[in-house]
Amino acid sequence: MFESRLTPTKEIDEDATPAPRASLSAGDGSRAFLLACIAVALAFAVTAVLIAISGQSPFAAYWALIKGALGSTDRIAFALNKSTPYILAGVGIALCFRARIINIGAEGQIAVGGLIASWVALHAAAWPGIVVIPLALMAGALGGATWAAIAAIIRQTRGVHEVLCTLLLNFVGILLVSEALHGDMGEPGAGFPQSRLFERSVWLPKLLPGTDLHIGIVIAMLATVIGHVLLWRTTFGFRLRMLGASSTAAAYAGVSFAGCAFAVMALAGAFAGIAGGIEVVGVHYRLIDGFSLGFGFNAVAVALLASINPLAVLPAGLFFGFLEAGALAMQREVGVPSSLVFVIQGLTMVFVLCAIGIGVRRQRI
Amino acid sequence: MLEMRNIHKSYGSVRANRGIDLTVPPGRIVGLLGENGSGKSTLMKVLFGVVRADSGTIYFKGRELAGHQPADAIAAGIGMIHQHFMLVDAMTVTENVMLGWQKAGRWLRPRQIAELIRTTTSAYGLDVDPDATVGRLSYGQRQRVEITKALMRASDLLILDEPTSNLSPPEVSRLLDLMRRLREQGRSVIFISHKLGEVLDVCDDIVVLRDGEVTGRCSSVGATRAELAHMMVGRDVTAAIEPRAHDCGAEILTVTSLSLRDEAGIERLRDVNIALHAGEILSIAGVDGNGQAELVEVIAGLRIPDRGRIVLANRDISQSTARARVAAGLAYIPVDRANMSLVLGMTVEDNLALREFNRAPLSRWCWLNRENFRAHATTRMAQFDVRASGPDAPARTLSGGNQQKIVVAREIGRNPKVLIAVQPTWGLDPGATRFVIDQVLALREAGGAILYISSELDEVLTIGDRIAVIHGGRLSEAMPRGQADVTEIGLMMAGVTQPPQRLEARPS
Repeated sequence: MFESRLTPTKEIDEDATPAPRASLSAGDGSRAFLLACIAVALAFAVTAVLIAISGQSPFAAYWALIKGALGSTDRIAFALNKSTPYILAGVGIALCFRARIINIGAEGQIAVGGLIASWVALHAAAWPGIVVIPLALMAGALGGATWAAIAAIIRQTRGVHEVLCTLLLNFVGILLVSEALHGDMGEPGAGFPQSRLFERSVWLPKLLPGTDLHIGIVIAMLATVIGHVLLWRTTFGFRLRMLGASSTAAAYAGVSFAGCAFAVMALAGAFAGIAGGIEVVGVHYRLIDGFSLGFGFNAVAVALLASINPLAVLPAGLFFGFLEAGALAMQREVGVPSSLVFVIQGLTMVFVLCAIGIGVRRQRI
Repeated sequence: MLEMRNIHKSYGSVRANRGIDLTVPPGRIVGLLGENGSGKSTLMKVLFGVVRADSGTIYFKGRELAGHQPADAIAAGIGMIHQHFMLVDAMTVTENVMLGWQKAGRWLRPRQIAELIRTTTSAYGLDVDPDATVGRLSYGQRQRVEITKALMRASDLLILDEPTSNLSPPEVSRLLDLMRRLREQGRSVIFISHKLGEVLDVCDDIVVLRDGEVTGRCSSVGATRAELAHMMVGRDVTAAIEPRAHDCGAEILTVTSLSLRDEAGIERLRDVNIALHAGEILSIAGVDGNGQAELVEVIAGLRIPDRGRIVLANRDISQSTARARVAAGLAYIPVDRANMSLVLGMTVEDNLALREFNRAPLSRWCWLNRENFRAHATTRMAQFDVRASGPDAPARTLSGGNQQKIVVAREIGRNPKVLIAVQPTWGLDPGATRFVIDQVLALREAGGAILYISSELDEVLTIGDRIAVIHGGRLSEAMPRGQADVTEIGLMMAGVTQPPQRLEARPS
């Protein structure tokens, strides 16, 4: 045990494989992009076979999918809105994964963020929108950050792995929303657990008048840039990258795991919380039970598809958003179940992860 | 029983085994002696089928073993007890014994196996509880579980790879007794060690390796420790470099009564005192696992000692963080390039900034100054002749020598007051070795103080102005190089003699 620390044997040299995530990132962005594209193409090809087996024409189905996603301004607006939470939460997750902190709690962080943002939107409705909207989003960020910080604190003080904490807090977060809607925040007389409609003044401004496209996508784009700058241009990002590559090296460089883990978790929580806030004040204009369902896990997929590169989260998130927007149209027009889109998403992830595996093996040689 | 002939094995340019012959007769204990990197482990990996030899033949019980896997070696009757045990912590002893054992049967019969373990272990006086969970056992107990596993798989030849490194003295004597008992049963043992005393005590034949070659074979009857130490170290090491006369500065690093117990409560450092002066190299010799790793980490600020004080240039840094110690002028070249001193996935530029990234001029507030990163990297790369395709090349793409140059450039390049170097030439080719040594000497000339730690006696004697030996967590008094005797130091490393009582505050 001690021998190995002082005199690395041949084995240790050989076993010092890089973190798969770190390996795909530094420098070879174009390679990662190419791999992601191949993964997507393969996923579509395999799904085409499935569609054909079910007796439909894959071409017709994919044509409907494309039309559904890009066919009109409304469709594009819808797809962009769909992409927004994926991108926001995906950036935070990418940063966490960089430091090898496996935060899969975006779902709960989005839920809590949406809950707090709704509370602000409902209670500060008398104030002008220009004040309330940023306030609601910031409250959402705070809520998400708190939710993530709880997981980080449990990890730090009790040694419970963050995968477990963040995963379980998801359920708590989602149920908290339910609880609130069945109580004070619920709309009296509504058949469904949802809050009152917010005042028009607190609705998120539209980017394109006449469509549903809200400014959330701009915030999401901003988040990817912030994530990128943070990762590559600040000492904080340097610490994250070191931690992710080797915790021993990070300790040697004087980096505290506890501090970094807490900060990056809180940051990711804040991004997810904003995503939750945008959903309630930009899409539904009210808090709805289960509004965050599936967002958190898709965001993990988005972060991985982007090979945890904050800037690449933007195209990856858009891909997921447009895919889902097109799915409904595909179902309506061709009769192919929209759930096939989940198959495409899932297969994409399988192929992406295979590609990462290949990358690691190559690097070993 | 075993005959290995003319085994050759190279890792890249490193020739780990060059034509080694090894014969193990039935019912004998053969000691395989050698320093780290002498080729012992490689030879055993070849035998066990973990790595394939480049050339050579192996005969075991009259049959040739070639192109075999560890599973084949086990089936043939070779048992290997690795230093790092191959046990599942969460399982009981019985379950571990059954794991991967064909003869345990298709259906699990834990009770019968447990009974079998009891009869086997009591025959050898092993004292293993079949129902105990492995994770709760001590190191020595786990070792006995490994031995039980090997015995139950009917191993006729048992390879013990440095089995005594982490054992307490009473456990060591139990293990040696067990080895004798195995011999009585007609089984053979290969005992790998660099502890002369134990080898002389228990072995029938001794084979000494150095630099991948057999440098000595003898019967333990009549062999002396001094002889063995000489065979192990070889060469006329003391005459390698003339000790340079130079002025010594003030005392710059003072370590007082440092003590440390590890998580398991085992004492790793015991009342260690160091007085290091500006412009001198104090080298510490010692067999790995005797506390040098802990000593270094405590001084570098990566581990908290239980007791003791560390003063650097009149500043008490005992409570400072690793980062603060870097700022105070402490440099550290760890032995582990792959995981600790470098981040191989990061660029050369980032690696050169690894320990100063949060200070001006490399950063301001929380912003990295990438231009200064680049400028810093370019200067250092030119200064220390780091050969890379550019500052933005990933460190991984560099050769081992150039990787170490990055570390040397970063640590020595900022003119530290004190440098701790742990085997900085490990695994380097002669050219790179020379370069690293020259840089360390240049730092000394410039008035830096160096703590040079190595388990290679050669190096310690070549470079140190004063030499101390660490054994069992205790550091001997340092002696000037002129008074150091290779045999005596070899014996001190083996813990044979008490440190000599020659007190020299400063080198002459």
